[in-house]
Amino acid sequence: MSPQQTQTQTGSAQPDGPAPSRWRLQVVHRSRFSYGGPVRSSYNEARLTPENGGRQTTLRSRVEIEPAATAFTYRDYWGSTVTAFDLHTPHEELVVTGTSIVEAGPEPVGHEHVGWEVLRGAEVRDQYGELLVPTRLTNVDAEVGAQAREVAGDLPPHEAAAAVCRFVNGHMEYLSGATHVKTTAMQAWRHRKGVCQDISHVTVGMLRALGLPARYVSGYLHPKRDAVVGQTVTGESHAWVEWWDGGWCAFDPTNSVEVGTRHVTLGRGRDYGDVSPFRGIFSGAGSEGHTVSVEVTRLA
Amino acid sequence: MADLFDGYPLGQQWDEMFGTPGQPRPAYAGLFTSLQPMAGEELSARADLLSQTYRDAGVTFAHAGEEQPFPLDIVPRVIGAEEWDVIERGVAQRVLALEAFLADVYGAGEVFADRIVPRSVVTTSAHFHRQAHGLVPPNGVRVHVSGIDLVRDEAGDFRVLEDNLRSPSGVSYVITNRAAMSQVLPELFADHRIQPVDDYPTRLLAALKASAPANVADPTVVVLTPGVYNSAYFEHALLARQMGVELVEGRDLVSAGNQVSMRTTDGQRRVDVIYRRIDDEFLDPVHFRPDSVIGCAGLLNAARAGRVTIANAVGNGVADDKLLYTWVPDLVRYYLNEEPVLANADTYRLDDADTVQWVLERLDQLVLKPVDGSGGKGIVIGPRADERTLTDLAVKVRARPRDWIAQKPIGLSTCPTLIGGRIAPRHVDLRPFAINDGSKVWVLPGGLTRVALPEGELVVNSSQGGGSKDTWVLSHPRPAGEPGPGRPESTRIEFTAADLPDEPPAQDPGPLNDTVVGQSQQQQQSRFGPLQGPAASLRAVGGRGSFTC
Repeated sequence: MSPQQTQTQTGSAQPDGPAPSRWRLQVVHRSRFSYGGPVRSSYNEARLTPENGGRQTTLRSRVEIEPAATAFTYRDYWGSTVTAFDLHTPHEELVVTGTSIVEAGPEPVGHEHVGWEVLRGAEVRDQYGELLVPTRLTNVDAEVGAQAREVAGDLPPHEAAAAVCRFVNGHMEYLSGATHVKTTAMQAWRHRKGVCQDISHVTVGMLRALGLPARYVSGYLHPKRDAVVGQTVTGESHAWVEWWDGGWCAFDPTNSVEVGTRHVTLGRGRDYGDVSPFRGIFSGAGSEGHTVSVEVTRLA
Repeated sequence: MADLFDGYPLGQQWDEMFGTPGQPRPAYAGLFTSLQPMAGEELSARADLLSQTYRDAGVTFAHAGEEQPFPLDIVPRVIGAEEWDVIERGVAQRVLALEAFLADVYGAGEVFADRIVPRSVVTTSAHFHRQAHGLVPPNGVRVHVSGIDLVRDEAGDFRVLEDNLRSPSGVSYVITNRAAMSQVLPELFADHRIQPVDDYPTRLLAALKASAPANVADPTVVVLTPGVYNSAYFEHALLARQMGVELVEGRDLVSAGNQVSMRTTDGQRRVDVIYRRIDDEFLDPVHFRPDSVIGCAGLLNAARAGRVTIANAVGNGVADDKLLYTWVPDLVRYYLNEEPVLANADTYRLDDADTVQWVLERLDQLVLKPVDGSGGKGIVIGPRADERTLTDLAVKVRARPRDWIAQKPIGLSTCPTLIGGRIAPRHVDLRPFAINDGSKVWVLPGGLTRVALPEGELVVNSSQGGGSKDTWVLSHPRPAGEPGPGRPESTRIEFTAADLPDEPPAQDPGPLNDTVVGQSQQQQQSRFGPLQGPAASLRAVGGRGSFTC
């Protein structure tokens, strides 16, 4: 890994490369909406700006809109940067491209893991109340809740959470096409199939059933552990989970890996609904299709 | 001739007019003297005239899906000047505390950090709208108009029953009641010094203009109504006309690049302040229900960008949640460093197992209220409920205690009311309306007195089929030598047919509704069922009643 880093440092515009434990990644996320005829107006919100802080530094980020529109940005309740725009000239296609360069690394370690008695205390339950209750997308039934408790056994919270993540990973098959954007945790769990969104929803639901504050994280993943610097590969929109056990811990239950150099964080919320990368309404002709492409390049 | 008030029974409750039989309280002395000579028949004749006036004017309230006349009782409710001072101070204080709380909830959240209110009270409220987080109104006002519901307890003290900070309705009845009463009983008005209510629209307009985005010299204000089917449409039309501003529906507005305009026959015109009478959930399909056809896409971000003011602000419901209500006295102390002028009703939070159990054992002695219900819906009055209702209630309370609060029943005060030709006591409450213009909270002297017409009925909400009374707030006595008022109370409201639709217009699909599709593959549904395509195109501008310029 280090020879590659040395290589890019010479080719990089930045004199200093990232710390050895970090990767510099460029992500190009393009959504293309095609319509069956002219759309007269549309109102949209994109959440395509990576978080800046914690284990990640965002060096550059921009959102381009075609046809051109004036964007308005704000930070939402969950801390995501939102790019809002509306269009009022007839168009048959809308392309939204988010381009970002970030340096990402593993979660800084160091917080003290608390025990169940702290998690069950009134203070934590009040502070993190909205991340402890199920949502429509993350709700799991009593049986799945019992399963989570069985997996947790007598383990302390941190270890129990990790065990639940591995359990979901071991019992759900990654399969795209089996679910859709509105599939709930229970629907996906019954089929034991789904994409990262579903696997994360199930995991979040089980973590909350244990009494762990848990949130859904939206972002990107570089698909290769041994990514070659300078090579652009097809990446994907990705999702993983975080839970609170004295501090926030992240884990990628789809791949059963720690969140680190390959993960770029966009935002966090109770479930997908709080952080969906793109949403909007339009009037005019019907939708003909929607394609998404994500290209990831390790720059250093 | 029998005395009009002979045999008027006094019960355990406070009576507004009589402390002892035949002896009116000071504020009612003049009314007592004026009404005495009328006896039963004369008063009944005047009452018929009053209801005729009201019917002709088309003052109605939609109850259980039907337009019904909103009965106006002929006996006014009178509040003395000193008593009113307390209400005025108490309401203004409460509004200021709730304003501070809302600014905190959608901003820094210090009230949680300081452990005055648990964060979960807010995060579990159905009316906490995270979409409004960080949205700061231009002059800081979120509660432009409020209705703080009061009742008077057995000891004669006013207590707050609930706060209404979203779109409290009823102020139009305050105005029309006064107008009708002064036409039917002009002699009563000659004998009293009653504070006027007819400057409410002027005050409201001034407050709305004061809330406009910065650097707008002459702000354009509109009233946004859900349409003629709304139970308060009459009020929306009346307020718009009296303020001299446009009454618009969502389809009349368009937001482009965070600039809101209204479509007029002369083209588009900029809008700066929207006095909206549409619920948050339907206001902006971009952030709330995407199937709403009565709102306007883009409003919320236009407000966030500081280009338009939405009044009342989005998300106010978190502060009139009935669970939060239990903390309002603490909020007054925390934000204002004052003791509350008006007390709450005695209320129990169902936030620990012991209290829940205690309440469950006494459901037949308590009043149970759903925390996010309004208009008296879902309230169970234990002492009057049958076995089955209580059993059902126990199941619901046990399942979701957070959804309920329990109150000791208050023996609401009674007020003499004309019932079947005789004067009888009926329970009343009071909704004073307050307007916050950013520098002062002004309380309309009077407010809406609602009266429960069935004997013994305690739920006095107008949406539960109650009636109302003209509510007089007497002026302080003039110091000797000061000239009398230049203008006697002679409010005349001209009712026009324009306020009332002669036929319901077709559902216009709205600018975004011919194909409104969620771009994240959400299935869209029209709330009003299939569109009436041809009918929609028939709706020319002229059909919009108040919207012709």
